[in-house]
Amino acid sequence: MEAFLVRYSIYVVFLIVLVIWIGIAGWLWRLERRLVKLEQWARQHGGNRP
Amino acid sequence: MKAILISLGVVGGVIVGLVPAVHRSRPRWWMALCIGGMGLTIALGLLPPLSGTFRDAVITWRQVNPELYVPVAGTLDWDAAVASGDTLVVPMTDRAIPPTTAMVVIPPGFSVPKDASVVILAVQRWKNDQQFVVRGIVAADPILALPFIPGLEERARNLFFHVPLSWVAVVAYAYALWYAVLFLRRRRFIDDIHSVSAVSIGTLFALLATATGSIWAKFNWGSFWNWDPRETSIFLLLLIYAAYFALRQSIEEPQRRAQIAAIYAIVAFVTVPFLVFVMPRLMEGLHPGSASDQTAGPILSTQPGVLHPLKQIVFALSMFSFSLLFFWLLSLRVRSGILALQHKIQQVQEMSETR
Repeated sequence: MEAFLVRYSIYVVFLIVLVIWIGIAGWLWRLERRLVKLEQWARQHGGNRP
Repeated sequence: MKAILISLGVVGGVIVGLVPAVHRSRPRWWMALCIGGMGLTIALGLLPPLSGTFRDAVITWRQVNPELYVPVAGTLDWDAAVASGDTLVVPMTDRAIPPTTAMVVIPPGFSVPKDASVVILAVQRWKNDQQFVVRGIVAADPILALPFIPGLEERARNLFFHVPLSWVAVVAYAYALWYAVLFLRRRRFIDDIHSVSAVSIGTLFALLATATGSIWAKFNWGSFWNWDPRETSIFLLLLIYAAYFALRQSIEEPQRRAQIAAIYAIVAFVTVPFLVFVMPRLMEGLHPGSASDQTAGPILSTQPGVLHPLKQIVFALSMFSFSLLFFWLLSLRVRSGILALQHKIQQVQEMSETR
């Protein structure tokens, strides 16, 4: 069991961190697309620059 | 070489982060660069196995924990192998400079690949400093390997996440200072949006740096919080910037709120260089680079060999990727702030027109 942990524990950490990052990246990508659409809509409806 | 690589990561991250401008949408190539850079940082930071030497195994056995297994990289001399029952005793030459040859005892059940030119074996010191017993097979002919540091082991990988998070917080507070100054000069609300967004995301990164440092401290120093000078300084910094949000919340009139917040952001930043770069280096503490440390820490030390070349590359990539992540979050926050402001202005105009 200890030999197994020596060999594989860092890969478990890698998979957890990778899954978290894929989740964050996907969320950011969707947020970016949504914001672009919202900005286009605002421009079409005469948004004022502050 | 180290200074060039790290400077490239730091300066490149800020330049690419600011192109296109923060208030513009991120192009696909830019988002792909950020996502790919972070993915590569995670892969290169966590996947390569650690590789040490027999000296590291002896130091770990004597000074750290005799129960620990140390990954030693080297070449096995199968021609000189001696069988003793089911156990094999094979001479192994590690990759230290100069190299050391020691005997490794391979108990039954371990099938060490014989065709590999370099193997990394998890070993423990056995009867003396020249004999080691194999406890696991880590890798055969690894493409990349990170150095094993006695006393730090796998925890050394935290460098690729903890330090860039703290650095990005400093960049964020500097960005907030710049836009605070611009607001006081131009009185444009868009500058206030930039400033408050940078402080928000900078504080998020400072909190994440504190969390990663605290978890690391639990496993390295024994407790989550030790009031080390750097821990104390980040705590003070978080308090100072928490007060920024409290100040903003306490003022209702937008013009006055933006003006006082801008002044506070400038005054708050005066403490940043002292709390981040000066105070923790002047005082004795547990952190690398403190007054009690022999070097200036793995990043700033000019001594050769303090930071392994692969670690330099991964660290530079990490600084670059985390900077892009910050500018992406900042762009989203700034642009949504601008949209909200435009909406408010429109509402006010519509109300005045109906009157």
